[in-house]
Amino acid sequence: MRHFLYLTNSRLVSMITQGKRIAARREFAVSGMGASELDRYLASYVDAPTYIFTDLSEEDFRLDTIPHVGSRDREAIVARKLGQIFRSSPYRYAAMQGREPEGRRDDRVIYTAITNPELLRPWVDAIERHAIPLVGIYSAAVFSAVLLEELDLVFANTLLVTFTPGEAMRQTYFKDGEIKFSRLTPVDLEEGQTLGMMMAEETTRTWQYLDSLRHFAGDDRLEVCVLVHPNDRAAVQPELRDFAQIQYRLVDMEQASTKLGLKPAPLDSTAEEVLVHLFLMRPSGNHFASAELRRFASLRRARLALNQVSIAILVAGVAWGGYNIFRALQGNQAEQELVRDIARLDREYDEITRALPSFGVGGATMRDVVAFYNASIRSFPSMPEFVVPISHALQGHPDIQLSQLAWQATDDPKATPTMTPGARTASPVTAVRKGDAPPPPPPPSDGNNPPYAGGKFEVALLEASVRVGANDYRGALDRVQKLSEAIAHLPGYRCEVVESPLDVSTSIAIQGKHSSADPSMLEARFVLRVMRERTPA
Amino acid sequence: MSRILPAVGARNLRFPWVLLALAIAAAIAIVLGSQWYRERESRQTSTAERRLLEARGRVEAARRERDSLQESADVFRTLVERGLLLGEHRLDLVEMVNTLRARHQLFSLDYEIAPQRALQLPGGRVYPSLDVLASRVKVKLRALHEGDVLAFVQELTQSRQGFYPLDRCLLRRVDSAGEALQPHVEAECSFEWITLKDKNANRAG
Repeated sequence: MRHFLYLTNSRLVSMITQGKRIAARREFAVSGMGASELDRYLASYVDAPTYIFTDLSEEDFRLDTIPHVGSRDREAIVARKLGQIFRSSPYRYAAMQGREPEGRRDDRVIYTAITNPELLRPWVDAIERHAIPLVGIYSAAVFSAVLLEELDLVFANTLLVTFTPGEAMRQTYFKDGEIKFSRLTPVDLEEGQTLGMMMAEETTRTWQYLDSLRHFAGDDRLEVCVLVHPNDRAAVQPELRDFAQIQYRLVDMEQASTKLGLKPAPLDSTAEEVLVHLFLMRPSGNHFASAELRRFASLRRARLALNQVSIAILVAGVAWGGYNIFRALQGNQAEQELVRDIARLDREYDEITRALPSFGVGGATMRDVVAFYNASIRSFPSMPEFVVPISHALQGHPDIQLSQLAWQATDDPKATPTMTPGARTASPVTAVRKGDAPPPPPPPSDGNNPPYAGGKFEVALLEASVRVGANDYRGALDRVQKLSEAIAHLPGYRCEVVESPLDVSTSIAIQGKHSSADPSMLEARFVLRVMRERTPA
Repeated sequence: MSRILPAVGARNLRFPWVLLALAIAAAIAIVLGSQWYRERESRQTSTAERRLLEARGRVEAARRERDSLQESADVFRTLVERGLLLGEHRLDLVEMVNTLRARHQLFSLDYEIAPQRALQLPGGRVYPSLDVLASRVKVKLRALHEGDVLAFVQELTQSRQGFYPLDRCLLRRVDSAGEALQPHVEAECSFEWITLKDKNANRAG
């Protein structure tokens, strides 16, 4: 909500706007009880940013040129000039209007001021009393340039004629869109004079004044644009006759309002609502109000800015927090799914482990037990299984009698089981080794902690004797050889003669002792070494 | 600024400043709180992911173990029934040997059971879950016929209670005066009495 105060010499119009629309309007008399009524009225709008438009006859305009200097210097020059020209008024304003086309190309300036500040004092005092945020004080004449632009009425020389509340007519002269002059004339019709007549006289008088100031060249024509309500058109149009230097253009208030989007259109020819509407569309900078007068607006702006920053920070924090919460909830959802998956896997694990054949021990133990059994026990050799085939082989040699069998399961293929040689029967012929015979190997000792035999090989020593005829050593050797071959032919068996009935190798000596007492039969001792390797299971 | 906004103005702005401070504090609190919550959820999710991986690994291991154990379950059952994991019950061996002696009509039977020890396996092999224990047993017997000795040995090694891998045996014919009921064969054999011990059971105990 904004509050606009349109001040003329006789009336003050209050307009409350909501958004781009004028929501309420009230007029106050400038004299009499008007000020006190406004004071009470303002109490209802102390928080609304307030704008004052002045449309007073005591507004003076001066054109000037100043050297083109830097902005700081220019501001200083302008301020000094304003002070010099309008010393008695705090309500003064300067507008830069481009540069001169020739010479030093000085800056063109127009100075304007409310020459009688007392006209504003009661209203400004009321605003100050209520600490109302005064945004600015604006010259309706200066701002009306916007009206020409919006209505496409910018000519080389334009005179905008508007009516103000309180029966006055303002003529504002624009040269190439820049305001050069403005004056307010009370509509005080003489007897028999119509509004159109008065307008024609006043505009002609203004043309003469401007012409005297050399605003026009020889063929220049002044376009007089009159903003008038249809109700007043009949009173105006007949009297306005164009001629070479002046051309009148009547701008229909309702059509202009439609073009500007002002709804509803004003009910008369006064332009305050149009200007306020234009201001809402194209806000302008402050003209007359000092910084001190605008301090409450500055405070309000600062307060709003702080509040907006607070809200922005809070919103950003909430948005950030919301994003974090959103991501956390997403994570939470993912976690829930993970937890469900974990529970499912745990159930599956439990089912598997329950179904496992445990036998009261762990799986690793079970595996180790089976592995140990397979590696060390399952295929461990059995002596009876080793001996039985040999026994069958021996059955084919009835003249051979087994006296000892030493069997051993081992992983060493060169191992030989120990055996104490049996008693030898006397033989007429014996092999004699040179020197002392080597002592028999010591009986095997398991020791305190013998390693596990493994049983990859089975090795056996067979001590036996062969019974042949007297001195039939050849027959004895032959039989032993045949027995050895018979055993070696058993599947998986190897056999060798370790001790022969008679060693006939050339490296050792042979002794013979024959007599008539020799027995009729010879029992010759021999030893076989038999080995069997375990086949892989 | 101070000229334009006098002290009264500063007072008017006190509430917006307080509001700004509160908004900043609230925003920081919201952001930090939500960040903490998010990080906590993230940590929990990471933990859950790790647990999921572990659970998957556990299930895979269990499946492998199930498949592996399924194959050896029958073997293991038999081994357990034969008392491989039950430890040594020496009285059982004493009774069994005496039973076998009577069954195979041995003339004499001497035996010696050595103290139990950890058995050294070929190649120094060890089993992570098992202690392999063994007692060295030596028997010395005399029989009428070597068939009795072999039957005794066969029945001993194939006993349904315990494992007795026989690794040495010496059979020797005994001279006798021709009398029929005298021992004709004597034997000296050695074997290991093997039992296994579950290491995990040791730890548990």
